[in-house]
Amino acid sequence: MSENTKQKAESSGQKAESNSQPSRRGIFSSIGAAAAAAAIVNPGKMFAATTPIPSIRIPKDITDSLAEPTRLGAFDAKGGMTGAELFAKSCKGEDLAALFCCPGNYQIINAISAAGIPAFGGRSEGSMASAADGFSRCTGEVTACSGTEGPGFTNMIMNIAVAHRARTPLLVLASNVTIATDDREFFIQTGYQQPTTEGLKKYGKRLIAADRLHEYTAYAFRYLKTGVPGPVHLDFPGEIYNHRFSAESEVKEYYSKEKYRADARPHPAPAELAKAVDMINRAERPVIVAGHGVFFRKAWEPLMAAAEKNEVAVVTAGPMRGHFPDEHRLSASLSPDAFMSADLVVFVGQYSMPTKQERWRFNPEAKAIRVNPTGEDLGRNWPLDLGIIADEGAFLEGLASNLPRKKRDAWVAELASARQKYEKQLLDEYEQGVKHSQATNTVHHAVVCKEVHDFLYKGSIDPKLTVTGWGGWTIGNAGARWLRAYRPGQEVNCPYQYSAVGPDLAMMIGAGAAVQLGVGPQAAYKGAPVLVLTSDAGIAYSMFELDTAAKYKIPVICVVYNNNSWGMWPSAVGTPRSMHMYLFQENLRYDKMAEGLGARGEYVRTQEDFRKALKTSYEVAAKERVSTLINVQALKEFTSGKDYPPGNIINPEPGVGALAH
Amino acid sequence: MLHWRSCAVAVLSCACALLVFGDALAKLSRDDAQKLKDPVPFSRKSIDRGRVLFFQNCTSCHGENGKAEGSLIADATDLTTPDLYKSGTTDGEIFRSIRDGAGDQMPAFKSQIDKETDIWNLVNFIHSLWPESKRPALQDDSK
Repeated sequence: MSENTKQKAESSGQKAESNSQPSRRGIFSSIGAAAAAAAIVNPGKMFAATTPIPSIRIPKDITDSLAEPTRLGAFDAKGGMTGAELFAKSCKGEDLAALFCCPGNYQIINAISAAGIPAFGGRSEGSMASAADGFSRCTGEVTACSGTEGPGFTNMIMNIAVAHRARTPLLVLASNVTIATDDREFFIQTGYQQPTTEGLKKYGKRLIAADRLHEYTAYAFRYLKTGVPGPVHLDFPGEIYNHRFSAESEVKEYYSKEKYRADARPHPAPAELAKAVDMINRAERPVIVAGHGVFFRKAWEPLMAAAEKNEVAVVTAGPMRGHFPDEHRLSASLSPDAFMSADLVVFVGQYSMPTKQERWRFNPEAKAIRVNPTGEDLGRNWPLDLGIIADEGAFLEGLASNLPRKKRDAWVAELASARQKYEKQLLDEYEQGVKHSQATNTVHHAVVCKEVHDFLYKGSIDPKLTVTGWGGWTIGNAGARWLRAYRPGQEVNCPYQYSAVGPDLAMMIGAGAAVQLGVGPQAAYKGAPVLVLTSDAGIAYSMFELDTAAKYKIPVICVVYNNNSWGMWPSAVGTPRSMHMYLFQENLRYDKMAEGLGARGEYVRTQEDFRKALKTSYEVAAKERVSTLINVQALKEFTSGKDYPPGNIINPEPGVGALAH
Repeated sequence: MLHWRSCAVAVLSCACALLVFGDALAKLSRDDAQKLKDPVPFSRKSIDRGRVLFFQNCTSCHGENGKAEGSLIADATDLTTPDLYKSGTTDGEIFRSIRDGAGDQMPAFKSQIDKETDIWNLVNFIHSLWPESKRPALQDDSK
């Protein structure tokens, strides 16, 4: 690759990798190349038993493709600018952070990639939608996913629903036959897309007028970038993306983003801000629930300033964590027993509100303030003493400026005491897990999670470095208790609210892409590996994306808790005839499958081996950008407290481990 | 505030319970559980406290009305119908189910609800979900 080409490729945000392989695979590559050469010389012997099997490798076509220069469409180009190019140009102008897709919707994905927006092609549309979701969850940026009309689009449905519940600003794109053949079942893949995403999106539109394409792109980004975020779904008939424009005048409402949307932020009314300041200052034990909106608005600095100035406790909530550091003395994220003492709860950017009849541990008599960028949700589920319509950042800046300095020694001490108690509970569970592990020659979930915790946060690695995510039932609940977030975007709560089984690995490959590119809060940690804890049930949904991780050199350490079953197997205990539906073959080798997809595989049955596997996997990920799947053999019975107490614990909320809200 | 006699009964009952269990953290046997009597009066105050704990710990499986109509897990017990209880309906058996877990699905809550008085408050709230004819007699909070 020439230096010039390399520079052009890097300017698009995606590096063009040389075809160099990690040492182990390098050896295999050499063998493979030799075999291929031999086959050319003597094709008849290609499949002889003695011929080495060619190794898995990244073809030159991929590295060459990533090295191609970027190109934006132009009205004065030969043949004009296509609708797809017009759309891609608008997306580029809106700083669309990345596209994750499978082939299909060809003109659109080709134009977006050509425009220099980082684009990733994977193995299934659903997983790619979750990868885009994961990218957004750890950066706060708008991302896109795309699939072909019909099956590619419907394959994304579960993952769009996941993004919808998490309020992810996800731009869902799909081709959709032609306007001319609407309602005729012409050829293949007819589908009515917009009704299919009803209830799963913030906004959607089937584009039917080419000259209004830019107008509806503006609609999309207005919805994606303002208010409470959520998925936006655009479906493109062929007449739209293939339309050719030769002049700006052919495009209606063709003006730049500065004119079609505002970056203005709604500020709290002075009287409302003053009332909030007064309520917080008068409270003895105030706590801020810093939700998704605080992260999305990148408002972690005013949050910190306000909390420290008046010694207000903070607990983070939402599909990502880290916008207030867990180790901070004012963090309540590991202090669930302190919540009942709080006499004022300030919900800021908490888009998915719990009801008072759920697991949230606040005293129902505590006063409540809720700050939301739009008004329609204020007062839903949780009665308010004060509702404020404001941008989360603007509100927190107002608090930081107007709250008086105050010490709350008793409250801070209570937080510390509650935290100590919670950590003791975790250690008690771990100690039980060690005994269960030793008794069964497998690894209990508490042991897996404690080892990951100690490796990432107590060893030689910068505790802020690694972005983590978690999913699965038994391992997910346990992992959430042990993973920590010390800086914005460090932890992705994969099952947040929708509790889908399976998108975990795909989501973390998306997060890994964001870290590789150093987007937003990941800039300081660019290139670091990411780690995901998931289950044997979950991994089946997105394991093939290890190929995608390998292809783009996104280093992921994927810990699969292999307990031979769906986590819900105890639901069959009362009807033994149905148990077979909840179980898998025992001792499946997900590590071998990973190797077949170009990743490393590790198989462990003991705590010590798991510790070693983690270390090796991390080193390879950091140095060679190679992913590893660690298959940790466990027992399904660990999920039940009957023989292996305490069993699977559903975590208190909010704070670390929160699943629902 | 609880009356001193109620407090004394609670303290004595807990002390007796310790004698029965030996190690307070060890799992209770069902036989030992059946010997336990609820030391916390079945009063409005106790039920209210139990309701808060129920909302914080139990509704994801048993639902907000205790009828277990949701779908998170199969076979969660309908707490409003004691005839359907699988691990016993005496005070102590319910206490045991909460503290130590029950069956294959219900985890132990002793680490999350660490005050035994609170587990008894939860037992009282669960009693309040029963048909009126089966509930204990409601006691005056002032006694």
